[in-house]
Amino acid sequence: MGFSLIWYLKEFGRTAWIKKFLFAKTAPLTTPSYFRGFPEPTGRICQHALFCMMACPAPGAIEVVHVGKGWMPRIHKGHCIRCGLCVEACPHGVLKSGRILETMEREGTSLVFSFRVVIDPVLCTGCGNCCTSCPVNKVADAQMGAGGHSSNDEVIMKVQAGDVVVIHEEKCTGCKTCEGACPTNAIRIARILEGTQQTVHEGPP
Amino acid sequence: MIINDVVCPFCGCLCDDLELEVEGDRILRVQNGCSLSEATFMNDTRLPAPIRRTASGWEEIPYADAIKETADILRDSDRPLLYGWSSTHGETQSVGVHIAERIGAVIDNTSTVCHGPSILAIQEVGHPGCTLGQVKNRADVIIYWGCNPIEAHPRHMSRYTTFATGFFVPDAQRERTIIVVDTRRNDSGGIADEFVQIEPGGDYAVLSALRAIVRGKESIIPKKVAGIAKEQLIRIAGICTNAKFGAIFFGLGLTMSRGKYKNVRNAIELTDELNRHTKFVISPMRGHGNVYGSNEVFTWMTGYPFAVDFARGIAFYNPGETTAVDILRRGECDAALIVASDPGAHFPRAAAEHLAKIPTVLIDPHVNATTALSRIQIPCTAAGIDAAGTAYRMDGVPIRLRKVIDRGYPDDAEILKKIYDRLNGELGP
Repeated sequence: MGFSLIWYLKEFGRTAWIKKFLFAKTAPLTTPSYFRGFPEPTGRICQHALFCMMACPAPGAIEVVHVGKGWMPRIHKGHCIRCGLCVEACPHGVLKSGRILETMEREGTSLVFSFRVVIDPVLCTGCGNCCTSCPVNKVADAQMGAGGHSSNDEVIMKVQAGDVVVIHEEKCTGCKTCEGACPTNAIRIARILEGTQQTVHEGPP
Repeated sequence: MIINDVVCPFCGCLCDDLELEVEGDRILRVQNGCSLSEATFMNDTRLPAPIRRTASGWEEIPYADAIKETADILRDSDRPLLYGWSSTHGETQSVGVHIAERIGAVIDNTSTVCHGPSILAIQEVGHPGCTLGQVKNRADVIIYWGCNPIEAHPRHMSRYTTFATGFFVPDAQRERTIIVVDTRRNDSGGIADEFVQIEPGGDYAVLSALRAIVRGKESIIPKKVAGIAKEQLIRIAGICTNAKFGAIFFGLGLTMSRGKYKNVRNAIELTDELNRHTKFVISPMRGHGNVYGSNEVFTWMTGYPFAVDFARGIAFYNPGETTAVDILRRGECDAALIVASDPGAHFPRAAAEHLAKIPTVLIDPHVNATTALSRIQIPCTAAGIDAAGTAYRMDGVPIRLRKVIDRGYPDDAEILKKIYDRLNGELGP
């Protein structure tokens, strides 16, 4: 009878079954030869562009941390899916993984980030929090960083006619500090990742 | 023509870094100002000429007639009320006090319905405050209590507190901790490091609890105080005591909720308590551009900051008795002169109803809700747009409002001076 206690004891009390259950051995986990390894440093200096973190599709797999006086990406192997997007997205070739860098060089491919700054004039109150908090603005115009007063046109955005107006979108680094500073969610940064390919001349130049 | 360093006269921040593009008597563009500032300069639709109420509507009258009639109304009145003053410059406020003294009127300003309780508390326990420049350059903990700067003082956070790079706070974004205390999650709360949702009317209890924790008596605090968990209160007290320099800014959520000036007094005493551990300051978020100025002018001329009654021939001050709302609600005054404010929109119904019953004169550049209650309205310059004068920022710093265009209107100080001269002539020395 399948549901009686004695049946269960008989079934699972067998020495063979207990041995199999407790001492089963499975083959050790090995990385197949055709798998790409985790990203590793190439030795080049990290410029803190953070594009690796922006491109990474696996949450928490990569973060850029302080190492000594500089920065360095750190891979969390439990989260990394070894897709290699961070390697491709890094504009400074800080990481390598398998044949990615060689392939990119040979085929002239690269991943390029660009950023769109979009302001909703209906929601924007012109408080200037985004303009003041923006790290690029702080460098481009110290007056802006010190209190929202724009003294030049080198900034990404400034307050004009009661709303924030984008002047130099191309300077945006996609850090989204402004999004966190905006109380009305009026500013949105779109991170756009595009693959490009340049014509490669085969043979000796 | 581009004019730099223009002062926005709208709110108590008095941002003095605006850039205006003007052409003749028109303002074309406002730079650096928030949306409130932009509307102040760009949507400045004025009443074209003085108007008097008739049986069927309104008629335009010359300035001379309007001034004469206003002087007559004030002269014939037994208990006139002079109210408003907060959206104009100190020079006008000063003439207002002279008129009040001359005719034995009650003179009151808009702090009677906003930060009046803060002043009462300050009169009791003092004001450990500082200028906004100090806050910007030093503060690493900012508390907004019962106020929503994003709606009411949009540039407060970017110019003085949260995001502005300070001399001793070079990385403002990371180094400053922002705490917002309110009864509901407002826009400012959305960008705070710590949002504290307090039950309505619970401010006094929470301030007392914080004082107790700062004093080291956390064992006597119950698990929850006005909806806030004890753990959060201990955490906030820890943030405050570990601050290098802290600043509390409070709004009408504290002054006009249950407890009123006692809440503010408790907040000042919490600041006092925190000063045993670190440097802490507290300041009210003043609303009108020059409401602080009206308190200053009234105080140096009469000795009292608002609600001054000259009926006895000397200045008498008793908030609750000589405050505008109480005088109107009791139906006590028989004429009113409203200058640079809009009690019709902000006073309780009973007070507004009485304003409509008595002869009320409004001296204000714009048509507002008080126009509907008035007998005469005299349009004038708007301080900071087409009139220069002194205004006081919310931290008590006097700033000269600039005249950026000329629209051909008389200054409200001039209008009042003419009324005063006429009263002087008729009433004798």
